[in-house]
Amino acid sequence: MTFTQVVINSIVRASELALLSLGLTIVYDILRFANFAHTEFAVVGVYVALFLNLTLGLPIVPAAVIASIATGLFSIAVDRAIFKKMRSTSGIIVMVTSLGLAIALRNTIRAIYGATAQNYSVPLQKPIMTEFFRITPLQIWIIATGAAAMVLFHLLLHHTKLGKAMRAASDDPDLAQASGIATEKIITYVWFIAITFASLGGILIGMETYILPYMGFAIIVPVFCATIMGGIGNPYGAMLGALVLGFAENFGLYINFGKILSLGGLLGQNKGLFIPTGYKPAISFVILIVVLLIRPRGILGKKKEG
Amino acid sequence: MGLINFLVYLAIMMGIYGILSLSLNLQYGFTGLANFGQVAFFCLGAYASTILVLVFHMPFIVGLFGGMAVAALFGFVIAIPTADLKEDYWAIVTLAAAEIVRIFFLNEDWVAGPDPYIGGAFGIGGIPQPLRSLFSPHTYPFFYLALVLVCLFATYIIINTLTASPFGRVIKSIREGDNLPQALGKDVKRFRLKVMALGGGFGGVAGCLWAHFHGFVSPEQFMPLETFIVWAMVIVGGKANNKGAIFGAVVIVIFYNCTRFLKDYIPIEEVTLASLRMVAIGILIVVAMLFMKEGLVKEKRIKESIVLKKACSE
Amino acid sequence: MLRVEKVYKSFGGILALFGVSFEVEANTITGLIGPNGSGKSTLFNIISGFYSKDRGEIYFQGKKLRNIEPYKIALMGVGRTFQISEAPEKMTVLENLLLAPKNQTGESVLNVFLHPLRIKNESKQHLEKAYEILHLVQLYDLMNEYAGNLSGGQKKLLSLARILMSDPLLLLLDEPTAGVNPTLIKDLIVAIKNLRDEKGVTILVVEHNMKVISEICDRVIVLDFGKKLAEGTPEEIKRNEKVLEAYLSGSTKREFFHENT
Repeated sequence: MTFTQVVINSIVRASELALLSLGLTIVYDILRFANFAHTEFAVVGVYVALFLNLTLGLPIVPAAVIASIATGLFSIAVDRAIFKKMRSTSGIIVMVTSLGLAIALRNTIRAIYGATAQNYSVPLQKPIMTEFFRITPLQIWIIATGAAAMVLFHLLLHHTKLGKAMRAASDDPDLAQASGIATEKIITYVWFIAITFASLGGILIGMETYILPYMGFAIIVPVFCATIMGGIGNPYGAMLGALVLGFAENFGLYINFGKILSLGGLLGQNKGLFIPTGYKPAISFVILIVVLLIRPRGILGKKKEG
Repeated sequence: MGLINFLVYLAIMMGIYGILSLSLNLQYGFTGLANFGQVAFFCLGAYASTILVLVFHMPFIVGLFGGMAVAALFGFVIAIPTADLKEDYWAIVTLAAAEIVRIFFLNEDWVAGPDPYIGGAFGIGGIPQPLRSLFSPHTYPFFYLALVLVCLFATYIIINTLTASPFGRVIKSIREGDNLPQALGKDVKRFRLKVMALGGGFGGVAGCLWAHFHGFVSPEQFMPLETFIVWAMVIVGGKANNKGAIFGAVVIVIFYNCTRFLKDYIPIEEVTLASLRMVAIGILIVVAMLFMKEGLVKEKRIKESIVLKKACSE
Repeated sequence: MLRVEKVYKSFGGILALFGVSFEVEANTITGLIGPNGSGKSTLFNIISGFYSKDRGEIYFQGKKLRNIEPYKIALMGVGRTFQISEAPEKMTVLENLLLAPKNQTGESVLNVFLHPLRIKNESKQHLEKAYEILHLVQLYDLMNEYAGNLSGGQKKLLSLARILMSDPLLLLLDEPTAGVNPTLIKDLIVAIKNLRDEKGVTILVVEHNMKVISEICDRVIVLDFGKKLAEGTPEEIKRNEKVLEAYLSGSTKREFFHENT
């Protein structure tokens, strides 16, 4: 594996994570709780797309788009049914509620689809091979989609009325409510955007790897890590966090620590020391701990007083 | 015979989960620590005890205390850098930590000894049951049940005494915010560390009892769903009420185990049934949080009469 | 007892305290007044260790208070009440009071099991004291009520009662009479003066009720926009033109002038 390949893999991963962490951060910010069901919503999107793609025979692109939008709408319904009743409840209780929701969603999917891995029906990919790396059209699509989504979000946030309202609600929720910016309406849009993006991210992951009912749980730690690293409520931070994490995970497995240690005389020459692939989740965990210890606000977080 | 064995099995499970539930209740119900990684203590206690007994040939009692100590230490250590974090950050950190523990035992099969087919994903089998030779195969389960109940009782007494003591008062005040206890001169972080060590220790005891009962441990037994089941027990049973925690364990264990039989009456696959059970657990948590935040058994209001009794009774 | 030297504090570019300096002598009651937003609460938070200061020093009994955690400052003898009552809602009034004494034997896990008798005795003593204080603030009948169910004024009283249980050397009172009924205020005034006279407690009190300030304070410090505007006895302050101009308006002015009514 060459250096360039790792870079490409990192960017692909970062694009996927960014779609997820962006959604998590805006919900966290505007609704003021850690949504442990966030990645599960994404998985709902993954399976709706699977249904559209495999059972109904839709080509993957329209299936993905429809599924993402449908799941976005679904999240609004869930908000109305559950979280709306908890607007003024303490964050920890809502968080535990979202945990219960996550369990219910994840296992409903599992009950319907079983525990075996599935794949989308995607036209065969011909990778582009060069001396240094290999990249599939899918991977290019993933990077492009990720980038496009980020740009779209940026435009939304800074060039629309909704975006302005979202920024206001983020900076000072009480003031925003008082000055007549309808917070409930904003909440509806926030859920829709967050979950549509998240579903898209999940579908891309599903396309690149495979589809399993518990895949949401597999990415929850990296997504939270990227969000927290970037600072809660900071969408650009979430993107940055995803980038950092994408690189950290891939380079973490690639770097030969043995070489580094042997340079420092701590290990004999030619001894390879790599982080075992099984420990990939540990990378985001360690980064999360380090970030929380040094700067709980995150890299670009908002200042908390005191 | 089959029915009696089944009931004894159920009771043993209620006992083991009762301990886990009391432990989580101490952390969350009384101190406000949302530990989403409770299974880590369970896992560490089980594995530590197994390794001590099987690989180092220690007696069961060493395994029990060893499991308790390892889990308590883990709780303490994980809390050192993280105890002051906001509860939502803490939840994700504990969730991740528990996963790392499980992955560790999945990958590191050397902890189980040199045999390449023991440990890691294969799990560790052949765990000896304490005092097995003293009993016949049909009385042994009763002995084990007694052992579990003794541990449950001890856990209950210890935790209940603590929560009714000045220590308990301080952790309850911490539950609602750091400012007041700080202003009253309480070293909040230290209290959190102690609670995590205690919670861990009891979780470890449960793990040890589990390992020696089943005779086999594997990383698959310690998936996050275990944590969530215990959460359901605490939430349903009653936050900050020790009897409630045990009650919650009883209810959920019954629910969990009795739905197994549906398979015989309804044509349904194992995986589907298991998933539906978890869906029910998830819905239960949501519903409980929406409508029944206190759980089925409410937190006891410490009236003057109770305080007086403790202060003046013999 | 307390010395505040050139303390500065800003919040994201807004200056809350601008070079505030003053001294509080032992065994006195000092009032801290000023319009809303003048920095009084910020000052309290800094003294008690909840906020960090940008510049300046604070000395308590000669000891420098710098980067010390709030609980340690509390253990040194600084007690405070909060403006917005920080009462744990799910604990009873009595429990709240019993929480307050410092360094209780029963707060250590081992002690709970090793020294139960000692803890019992301490409990008895604390209970006696709690009863006394509850009578004083007239919350005795509500002792088994959850703190969360009390009215705003009652919560204030609870705050006061609680901190009294901890025998502070320096007491920072944040608007102790807000929301409290007038007859009780008279009793509170007596109690606060008592603390100074009989228990030797030093008190720094933030208040908007000028009558109370005039009655209990030995000295008064006036803050305005984060700066110390004036310092002196209540009479001197009442006559200080700068104070009158900057601070008093409307009804408060009337109160000041007609404080004998």
